[in-house]
Amino acid sequence: MEIKIAVSGINAVDNPGPGIGVAKSLLEAEDFSAEIVGLAYDAMEPGIYMDWIVKKSFIMPYPSGGHDAFINRLLYIKENYGMDFFMPVLDAELPVVIKYSHELEKNGIKTFLPTYEQFKLRSKDRLEEIANNIGIEIPKSEVVTSYEELIKAIEKIGLPVMVKGAFYKAYRAFTTQEAVSYYNKIVAQWGYPIIVQQVVSGEEMNVVAAGDGEGSSLGMVGIKKVWITELGKIWTGITIKNEKMLSASQKFIEKYSWKGAFELECIVDTKESRVYLIEINPRFPAWSYFSTGVGVNIAANIIRKSFGMPVKNYTDYPAGKLYVRFTDDLVTDMERFQKIITRGES
Amino acid sequence: MDRIKQLAINDEGFVFDPLTGDSFTVNQTGLFILKKLKEGKTEEEILQEITGEFEVSQEEAERDLIDFIEKLRSYRLI
Amino acid sequence: MKKIYEKPVITKLQTGFMNKFGSSPLYARKIRKDIDGVPISELVEKFGSPLFVISEKKLREKFRQIYNAFSTRYPNVQFGWSYKTNYLKAVCAVLHQEGAIAEVVSAFEYEKARNLGIEGKEIIFNGPHKPVEILEVAASEGAKIHIDHFDEITDLEKIAEKLGKQIKVAIRINMDTGIHPQWDRFGFNLETGQALDAVKRIASGGKLVLNGLHCHIGTFILEPEAYGREVEKMVKFAYEVEDNFGFKIEYLDIGGGFPSKNRLKGTYLPPDVAVPPVDEYAEKITESLYSNLRPGDFPKLILETGRAIVDEAEYLITTVFASKRLPDGRKAYIADAGVNLLFTAFWYKFNIEIDREVQGSNEPAVIYGPLCMNIDIIDEGTMLSPLERGTRLIFSPVGAYNNTQWMQFIEYRPNVVMVMEDQTVEVIREKENLSDIEKRERLPERLKIK
Ligand SMILES: Cc1ncc(COP(=O)(O)O)c(C=O)c1O
Repeated sequence: MEIKIAVSGINAVDNPGPGIGVAKSLLEAEDFSAEIVGLAYDAMEPGIYMDWIVKKSFIMPYPSGGHDAFINRLLYIKENYGMDFFMPVLDAELPVVIKYSHELEKNGIKTFLPTYEQFKLRSKDRLEEIANNIGIEIPKSEVVTSYEELIKAIEKIGLPVMVKGAFYKAYRAFTTQEAVSYYNKIVAQWGYPIIVQQVVSGEEMNVVAAGDGEGSSLGMVGIKKVWITELGKIWTGITIKNEKMLSASQKFIEKYSWKGAFELECIVDTKESRVYLIEINPRFPAWSYFSTGVGVNIAANIIRKSFGMPVKNYTDYPAGKLYVRFTDDLVTDMERFQKIITRGES
Repeated sequence: MDRIKQLAINDEGFVFDPLTGDSFTVNQTGLFILKKLKEGKTEEEILQEITGEFEVSQEEAERDLIDFIEKLRSYRLI
Repeated sequence: MKKIYEKPVITKLQTGFMNKFGSSPLYARKIRKDIDGVPISELVEKFGSPLFVISEKKLREKFRQIYNAFSTRYPNVQFGWSYKTNYLKAVCAVLHQEGAIAEVVSAFEYEKARNLGIEGKEIIFNGPHKPVEILEVAASEGAKIHIDHFDEITDLEKIAEKLGKQIKVAIRINMDTGIHPQWDRFGFNLETGQALDAVKRIASGGKLVLNGLHCHIGTFILEPEAYGREVEKMVKFAYEVEDNFGFKIEYLDIGGGFPSKNRLKGTYLPPDVAVPPVDEYAEKITESLYSNLRPGDFPKLILETGRAIVDEAEYLITTVFASKRLPDGRKAYIADAGVNLLFTAFWYKFNIEIDREVQGSNEPAVIYGPLCMNIDIIDEGTMLSPLERGTRLIFSPVGAYNNTQWMQFIEYRPNVVMVMEDQTVEVIREKENLSDIEKRERLPERLKIK
C-alpha cells in the first residue's frame, strides 16, 4: 500500500521540530510504503533539502491564517500533488487541524488527533486533575497576578520556587527578592498570569506514546534524558522502565480515551519513588524516532490504525538502549531553494 | 548601477546578488524593469517600454516606477 | 494585445521570513464588493468615505442566535442591551425591538435610554458613578439598580427615606473565576466576605430590598468554563443570602463578555478557531444553573452581552488616500480613517477586505490613519498586494465600542448608515460639520478677531 503522508515540523535545526523523526519512522514501516510530503513554514527548513527522506515539500501559510489560508492550502496540495494523511506535529497547528479535521476527512485527508476537548486537557490548570486521575503527583503550584499573591504563594509553597509564565519562561528563585525580579521580568515580556511552583527534585523522564481513541495504547516507550543542550533539548538519552510513570501513561490513554500521539514530561524522584507530572504535549516529541529505534514504531501504528491495517501490538521494549543525536551537513545547489521561494513548493 | 549588472535573475522572478549573497523575489513587472535596468536603459526609456508592453496609464506607471526604484535603493541595489 | 499590468514588487528574502505567504496568504486575500447586497461603490458615492455601515440583518441574526442559545436551554431569560458597546439610537432600537431591555452605566446613558422611550423599570443601572440626582430619578422610576460600593448604599437609603418607600436593589459582586486579570474593582468581592458584609449592611438598614445579584467577569472571555464557575458561585451566594436574610433573589445578572470573531492582538490562533461558539457558553452556564439551583427554582437569568451581538454587524469603509515607501522598504498606506474612528485598533487586529481584484504579489505593508500622531496605525504589519490610490479597504468587525469610544480629533466623524433588511440604506448618524463641534464653545468678546 502506497500512502502519501504529509508531515510538518521538518525544521531539523538546533531546536528541532518533530517532523524528521516521525518521517524516518514512517519510512521504516514494512507493511506499507510511505511517501513523505514535507510541510514547511520557511524555505530554510532543512527537511526541504533532505530528499532521501522528504520527497517533496510545500510552504504552508501560518496556522494563524485559520481556515481560509491553512486548510485551503492543504486542500490545494491534496488536489495538485496528493495527500492521504496529515500528521501535524507542531503545537500551533493542532487547534486548527482538530477543528477542521472533518472537512479534511471529507476531502480525503485523514488525520489521527485528539478531540478539542481532549486537546484542552493539556492546559496548565487541568494538570492537577489529570495527575490525580492517573495516580501521579504534580508539584504544588499557585497562579498569581499580583505581588501580594506572589508573596503568599511563596509562603505557602516554600523556597526555592519555580517562577513560570503561562506559556514560556521558567526561572528558579532561591529568595523572595529573586522571585519578585523574575516575576517582573516575565510579566514585562509575557504578561499575566504567573505560576509559582514547588521545586521538585529528581530526574527528567519522558514517555512517548499514542492512544487509539478507544482506550488502548498504540505503543509506549519511557526514556531518561542523559545529556541536554543549552536549549534544553535532548542530545543523549536512554530507555528506562519506570513502572509508575508507564502505568500513569497507560491510565491516561484509558481514562481519557486519548487519540493520537503524546508526550508525558515527568520529574521522577527515584529515592522517594514519586513521579511528578510537569507537562503533557499532545503530539510527538522531537526525539520520537528513539522509540522506533527500539522496535516500537508508534507513528507507523497510527497509520495502520487510520487505514484499517492490522495494528502491531508492541508490548515491550528493551531498557538501556542509547539514543545519540549527531550533526550532519549537506551541500546542494540553489535550485530547490529557488523553486520553494518562487513557487512555494520544491 | 553596477550592482544591478551582476545580479543573477531567473525568469520565475528569483534574483540572487553574488556580491552580498542576498536573494530577492520579484513579480513579472518588477522583473521586466530589472532586466531593462540591467541593460542600462534610462528611467524614461523604461517608462516608455512599460506603457508599450502593459495595459497601464503613463501616470500610474511612472508613480510605480519611482516607487520601485526607491525600493531598489533601500536594498542598495542601485 | 498588451499584457495585464501589475505593480512592480521586489522583496528581499530574510532568514526566518522565507514564507511565500507571509502572514496573510495570496489566495486568502479577501474581496468584498457589497454589504448585504448594496455595492460598496454605491455606498461611498452616496454617503462618502470613511463610512460606518451597520447591517440590520446581521444585528438581528446575531441577537436571535445568542438569545436562542439561552432561551432554548433555560425557561427564564432576559437580555439587557449594553449601551456602552454601541448606543446609536438605531442600534438600540433594533435590539429593543428584539426584546432586550437597556443596560446603562451613567447618567448620560440613562437619559439616552429614557429619551428613546424605554421605561425606567426596563433599565438596568450599573456602574461605579451614579450621581444622587440620577440615582433618585432611577429609583423613583423603578430601574434595576445594581449597587457598586458602600457609599452607594448610603445614597440609596437617603433616597428611600426621601421617597418614603423601600427600594428594590441588586448588588454587583466580583469573584475569582480563573480569569486574569480579575475585574475586582467593581462591586463587592465575594471571597473576602465583602459581598456578605454588603448584604448585612443592606438588611440592617431596612430601607432597601435586595432582589438580585449582578456580576460581570470581563470582556472577550475565551473560556466558557469561567461562566460555569461564575454561575455556581452566584447561585450559592444567592441561597446563602436567601437562607440567612430572608431576601428573595429574583434574578441573576451574569453580565457580558462573550467574544466576537475579532482577533485580539497577541493571540496566535485565528478567531474561527480560538473563539468558542456561543452554544458552548450557553451550555456551561445552564449546566451550572441546573446543577446548583434547588429543584423548581428558576430565577431570571439576565445577560448583558454587548460585543458578541453587535461587533460583527458593522463595517468601516475607508479609502486609500495615499501611499508611500518607508525608509526600511515597507509600503505604507494612508487611509482616511484611523484610530480616531477605530479606537479598538489598539487591541484588535481587524479583518481587512479590498473592494476590487488586485494583481500582483503581496508585500509587507502598514496601514496608517489620517492623524498627525505617530500612534495612528490601524494595522502595523500585513501583507497586501500594491493598492492604487482610491482603493477601498473594508475593516470589520467594528461594531463594538467604536461608535462610543471614537474621538473627535482634528477630523469630523463620518456618516453612519444602516443597511436595512429590505436593502434600503438609512443614515442613522449624520456626518459632523463645524457647527456641531463649535456649538458649545463661547468666544469671549474681547478675544474676537476683528
Ligand atoms: C457591567 C457591564 N455589562 C456588560 C458589558 C458588556 O460587555 P461585552 O461587550 O464584553 O459583552 C460591560 C462592558 O464592559 C460591562 O461593564
